[in-house]
Amino acid sequence: MARVLVIEDDETTAREIVAELSVHGMTAEWIANGREGLERACQDGYDLITLDRMLPGMDGIDVVAELRRAQVDTPVLMISALSDVDERVRGLRAGGDDYLTKPFAPDEMAARAEVLLRRRQPQAVQRLRVANLELDLVSHVAYRDGQPLTLLPTEYRLLEFLMRNSGQVLTRSMIFETVWGFHFDPGTNVIDVHIARLRRKIDTAGQPPLIHTVRGTGYMLTAAQETASVTP
Amino acid sequence: MNARPNAWHSATSRLILIYGALFALWGFVLVGVIQWETTRYLNNVIDQMLLQRMHYIGSTEPDRLPATVDAASKIDPHGIMSVGLFDHEHRPLAGNIDNLPRALPRDGLVHQLAHGLPRPDRDAERVRARGLASELPNGDILVIAKDTSTIDGIGAIIRRALLWGVSLTIIPGLLGGFLLRRGPEKRIRALQEATDPIRQGDLSKRLPVSRRGDEVDQLAGIVNTMLGEIERLMNEVKGVCDNIAHDLRTPLTRLRARLYRTQQQLEGQPEATLIEACMVDIDAVLTRFRALLRVSELEDRNRAACFDEVDVGQVLRQVHEFYAPVAEDRGQPFELDIQTLAPIRADAHLLFEALANLVGNAIKFTPPGGQVRLRASMDKRGPRVDIIDSGPGIPADERDAVTRRFYRGDNSRTTAGSGLGLSIVSAIVRLHGYALDIGEAGTGARLTLYCYALAPGEKPGTCLSRSVPEVTPAIV
Repeated sequence: MARVLVIEDDETTAREIVAELSVHGMTAEWIANGREGLERACQDGYDLITLDRMLPGMDGIDVVAELRRAQVDTPVLMISALSDVDERVRGLRAGGDDYLTKPFAPDEMAARAEVLLRRRQPQAVQRLRVANLELDLVSHVAYRDGQPLTLLPTEYRLLEFLMRNSGQVLTRSMIFETVWGFHFDPGTNVIDVHIARLRRKIDTAGQPPLIHTVRGTGYMLTAAQETASVTP
Repeated sequence: MNARPNAWHSATSRLILIYGALFALWGFVLVGVIQWETTRYLNNVIDQMLLQRMHYIGSTEPDRLPATVDAASKIDPHGIMSVGLFDHEHRPLAGNIDNLPRALPRDGLVHQLAHGLPRPDRDAERVRARGLASELPNGDILVIAKDTSTIDGIGAIIRRALLWGVSLTIIPGLLGGFLLRRGPEKRIRALQEATDPIRQGDLSKRLPVSRRGDEVDQLAGIVNTMLGEIERLMNEVKGVCDNIAHDLRTPLTRLRARLYRTQQQLEGQPEATLIEACMVDIDAVLTRFRALLRVSELEDRNRAACFDEVDVGQVLRQVHEFYAPVAEDRGQPFELDIQTLAPIRADAHLLFEALANLVGNAIKFTPPGGQVRLRASMDKRGPRVDIIDSGPGIPADERDAVTRRFYRGDNSRTTAGSGLGLSIVSAIVRLHGYALDIGEAGTGARLTLYCYALAPGEKPGTCLSRSVPEVTPAIV
């Protein structure tokens, strides 16, 4: 079970984070002070840290910078009310691994936490596999049931992101940020259209569907079908 | 950016010119009056002199008259005062006038001689003269005339004095005016430069005020007071909007979270669909709040740190790749035409966001089967990007309004969207100092992003390459 350190001075927000992470099968511990949070993060081996920007005792930016200086490479999800893009850049440059703006949807926060936890696992693989879908990371070719699929560069990147996080719910903003590298709300159904095109190539007739829509949240690539409702 | 004002459009120049012209005109009138009065006075003096001389000579005994006339003419060898005695057949009898002046009435009154009078000391050069002729009782004609070139000389002296006076007044006046004009012009230019950021929406800037406290400073002070008040009101309005958006996001997000958990618990039951519909509505509200706060964030102008040299073509290719599937799904040919472009200084992420908004709108408002074209070219000043579609276009009277927050044109009321997309674009364009022009191409819309600053009122440059063709509406 993954251990998460929640460094957050607002009790209501902290309770929300802890509750949501618990729902997703993680153990969360809450610290309300920046300096204490830094000490705890350096002492105990946590799998993930959620870190507020504005904290008593020590600013979140300083906390993550100190962690990195102390060679602590625990993934850090920064959660802040400061939504300006420059603030995001500052947080990521200081050593944060992801940045979420308050107020946030708990499921979005949990999805990002799970992606960060997965990122810690060794990635030195040459081939990704989910059921009979394979992705050769060297030749950049995807196969379904052994048959090569013709993918456009964007479709390849999208599929790689979905497969690296298979079984994990991915929100539209996470997909947009990772696959396209931009941090704004495209505000339209563009991500859905890209997913639909990929789905047409991956989930061909006669094959069990792998790309699932998670209502109200985003998408998930998984062979399991009990948790998600599939968009036709 | 302001064009340098024409020197003759300067109020100081105009005033100096008008004053100079009035001064010169008044000088001419004054000198004219002086000359006219002087001439009149001197002519009167000469006329009296001539009449006295006529009276004196005319009263001489007839037999002694020729000798008197000769004697009188010898007194004046220069012929300034000429005397002549002619018989009834106009033959000269005595004196230094060779010919009886033509058209001189013999009425005993002084007249200007039409043909002047020859001056013996100047090789018989004719000079202006006044004279009178009188017919004597024996039929002879006595003529006395006086050279009036002295009066002309005095007139010339007065005119020369005027010319020198005007020259010595007007030339230094114009020179002084030119030098005087530079001061106010410099101040006006400083004011114009100070208004550039204000015109572009930065209400925190103020006009420069010197310590002179003159009319320009008073005016600048009034404008600064107005700007302060406008800024305060704008900040209040913006603050109210932002606070509403900011403060309502948290409860709405929590409400959405609760609905989400409930929906997860009711998975598979009919209520789950109803809850999902509620979540879609809440998402729409949250999207609007996010967009509203995004506009404010961009308008705060704190993002210059991310500016770098950017290849517009590369950004356009990303935008095209991002939206191509959407256009394809709508059966819209989506062309990309990128010519050789100079790099620009920009924030690539913000540029992508602005162009993505514009392209998203073009695709959204163009009916299925229509066409959308994305084109980048160089004009005289820098790169320009044209987004052209075959949709209904943006009516001319709405083109200024569409960049306002929450404005929904007649064509967009039934289309999904927050009404903030073009506000975000406008804020990004302002942040870069670029210009956005909304026009038409055939029946559709043409939105042009000039990736350089346009001076107020400046017409965008002409494409150096071929002009932007209209999109031919597809036959559906």
